[in-house]
Amino acid sequence: MSKSLFNNLQLLPPDALFNIKQRLSTDSRPVKVDLGIGAYRDDNGKPWVLPSVREAEKLIQQDPDYNHEYLGIAGLTSLTQGAVKVLLGQDSPALKEDRVVSVQSLSGTGALHMAASFFTKFCKDKLVYLSDPTWANHNAIFETMGLKTASYPYWNAASKSLDLEGYLNAIKTAPQGSIFVLHACAHNPTGLDPNEEQWAKILKAIVEQDHIVLFDSAYQGFASGDLNKDAFAVRLGLEMLADSAPVIICQSFAKNVGMYGERAGCFHLVLPRQDASVDTEHVKASVKSQLAKITRSELSNPPAYGAKIVATVLNNPELTKQWHADMVTMSSRIIKMRHQLRDSLVSLKTPGNWDHIVGQTGMFSYTGLSAEMVQRLEKEHAVYLVSSGRASIAGLNSGNVEYVAKAINEVVNYFGSSKL
Amino acid sequence: MLRRQVYKFPGRIQAIPMAPPDKILGLTEQFNVDKNPKKTNLTVGIYKDNWGQVTTFPSVARAQTILDQSFEMNTDLSYLPIKGCPDFRENVLKFLYRDSCPEGVELLDQDRISFVQTLSGTGALAVASKFLSLFISRTVWFPDPSWPNHANVFQNNGFKNINYYTYYKEGKLDVDGWIQDLEKEARETTDEYPPCIVLHACCHNPTGLDPTLEQWRRILDKIQELKMIPIIDMAYQGLDTGDLIKDTYLLRLSLDKNRYQWPNGLFLCQSFAKNMGLYGERVGSLSVVTPSGGDVKHNVDSQLKKIVRGMYSSPPGYGSRVANIVLSTPHLKDLWFEDVKNVAQRLQSVKAKMAERLDWESLKDPSRQHGMFLYTGLNTSSVDILRERFSIYLVQDGRLSLSGLNDSNIDYVCDALRKV
Repeated sequence: MSKSLFNNLQLLPPDALFNIKQRLSTDSRPVKVDLGIGAYRDDNGKPWVLPSVREAEKLIQQDPDYNHEYLGIAGLTSLTQGAVKVLLGQDSPALKEDRVVSVQSLSGTGALHMAASFFTKFCKDKLVYLSDPTWANHNAIFETMGLKTASYPYWNAASKSLDLEGYLNAIKTAPQGSIFVLHACAHNPTGLDPNEEQWAKILKAIVEQDHIVLFDSAYQGFASGDLNKDAFAVRLGLEMLADSAPVIICQSFAKNVGMYGERAGCFHLVLPRQDASVDTEHVKASVKSQLAKITRSELSNPPAYGAKIVATVLNNPELTKQWHADMVTMSSRIIKMRHQLRDSLVSLKTPGNWDHIVGQTGMFSYTGLSAEMVQRLEKEHAVYLVSSGRASIAGLNSGNVEYVAKAINEVVNYFGSSKL
Repeated sequence: MLRRQVYKFPGRIQAIPMAPPDKILGLTEQFNVDKNPKKTNLTVGIYKDNWGQVTTFPSVARAQTILDQSFEMNTDLSYLPIKGCPDFRENVLKFLYRDSCPEGVELLDQDRISFVQTLSGTGALAVASKFLSLFISRTVWFPDPSWPNHANVFQNNGFKNINYYTYYKEGKLDVDGWIQDLEKEARETTDEYPPCIVLHACCHNPTGLDPTLEQWRRILDKIQELKMIPIIDMAYQGLDTGDLIKDTYLLRLSLDKNRYQWPNGLFLCQSFAKNMGLYGERVGSLSVVTPSGGDVKHNVDSQLKKIVRGMYSSPPGYGSRVANIVLSTPHLKDLWFEDVKNVAQRLQSVKAKMAERLDWESLKDPSRQHGMFLYTGLNTSSVDILRERFSIYLVQDGRLSLSGLNDSNIDYVCDALRKV
């Protein structure tokens, strides 16, 4: 009987994004454009190592004490402490009041997985609310740990704008104390963020329903070029929730430091203010010990190289300054590409309104192109994006943006704008 | 106005119990704050040279230089595929299943080995145990004693029944007791799924005692008879005899197709932490030798990918790039073999020097203690005395990491050991 056990495994569909990469690499057409995976490319379409990272690498390699020893289970302290300041701000009340537990994680996914493991252990019955749509991997991360997920309305397809009413309604009708996963900035995949006023409404409703907030912060500084601006929602959330509930923040350095493959990130848990009967130090120590147990059971201790680079960038004032400039370089190029794409579509008289492309922020644009249009883009024009119509704007450059606009123009006309 | 209140969740968070500190890495934290100038850390399995330094292996240092100077290779901090770097995969497979184990060539030709780059040995065990618990087995057998984190990894990844087989009795390896335990307990299991058994490939951690080839044959025969699934944990390849190839005997023996078939697969969890000194970079692999290749192998591949995608998306790049350069550059590979030999020789010489100073049974026969550790047989209270009175840190079970000893401290430590 046991002989056949292996035979029953189901073949899973390949991960949509990683699969695009594969198709692209076997596509022999001379002009092909990758608007799939969310990784920054420079104006030559090449991966770009940030100048601040280059410098940090040099410093690390020249350090006579550099070695490959294990990091602690909680990771590199100079990373986690530098990282939390970037996120919360130098003057954060939560930091002053010492209410934060921070540990290193395997970038954003690892931090989210850690949150999922933590919820599974201590509040398994809570519903996890994800935006509709959301990053394709969010569902899997929580569901594979046995948590139940639900969705809240986010994107109004007709107006290509935020469905605030539906969003607030979902917050109000969700069981009290549910978990809400919020994209801190540069919402993936839509590129659409609530404005400051909308954030205040959303967070107020969340406080009133005693929900728990998990911020997924994958694009801080990458979206606008300004770390503080992109941390607006997180900081407002911490302020508004300071007396009511813990806040979890999953922080990735994949995009804003370009650490993609080095898997550098952090998991932060910010405890609420509580009355004097609660020994916050003890609660923090307990949380930390449980997080350590999770890490120990999956990877023992986190990888060192990426952590050391990011820590160097964050703790060396010269490099920090350079890094800020690097983020401006990336974000301004992407914003420029948004404008060029929109302008080209307008001048080609492509049916439909394309203003949302410039209104959106971060790596992606939710173009509104249908699945069949996306398919035709790939088949006829070798322009690759995921079937939801999400385009990674970082894949555009001055050499290919015209080509892409013409390709979009062709497929929209082919199917007709009623299919948009 | 916002209603301010302390909700249930903070209450829950207060109720989180303190998880015990990790048995090994926790001691290092204690060591770091010890003020005794003679303090000696003999806990963690990190190789130190005779000057007490953690040095990068010469082969690895040269690979790093190549990497640092190669603009092309170094430009790319991009995401690795979910299963890891393809070149790394190819070269590790060749190293493991061709160089180390000619029995594997046929398996490679038949494409029967499913492979993922993992976060070193722990990561391999985590992915393996997650996969097994999802589809094949919830019961595992470890040697008593074993690496303390083994049970933690399997428990946190879905295993329900954790069992221990007799391994060590009165200072000796007890193969008869081992086989009897399997015979008695595993045969009587009412579990409808086949149980797994974890085998230390060489340099058993913590006892340093390994079965002979003849004994391994008896053990593997029994494992096959009982339809158990072998999981080989190979963390110290090369550190036993100094010969990377020689130390792979358990894998070679298990893959002798005239003697063994593994209808539910054979799992190899392999690490470059110790034998390349890449500890903190987290480099290793999981390979699953599937019974028939083809669809079964592809289905396993797809499930392993899903697990990784939900845990951390993709593995860290740097360490695997370094390891890949060592494995794929002939003169560096030769140098690496030399490096490993030198490490093993130093470990042997430390044992010999201890034997001159201590009249211990376990030190008399150098063939009895394999690898980086000496299992002193000291009980907990003796270990406590060593730590409290002499600032000499051993793992609580009496395991002593040999490479922590050198010419400058061996007299001090041996004196203390004698007194205790």
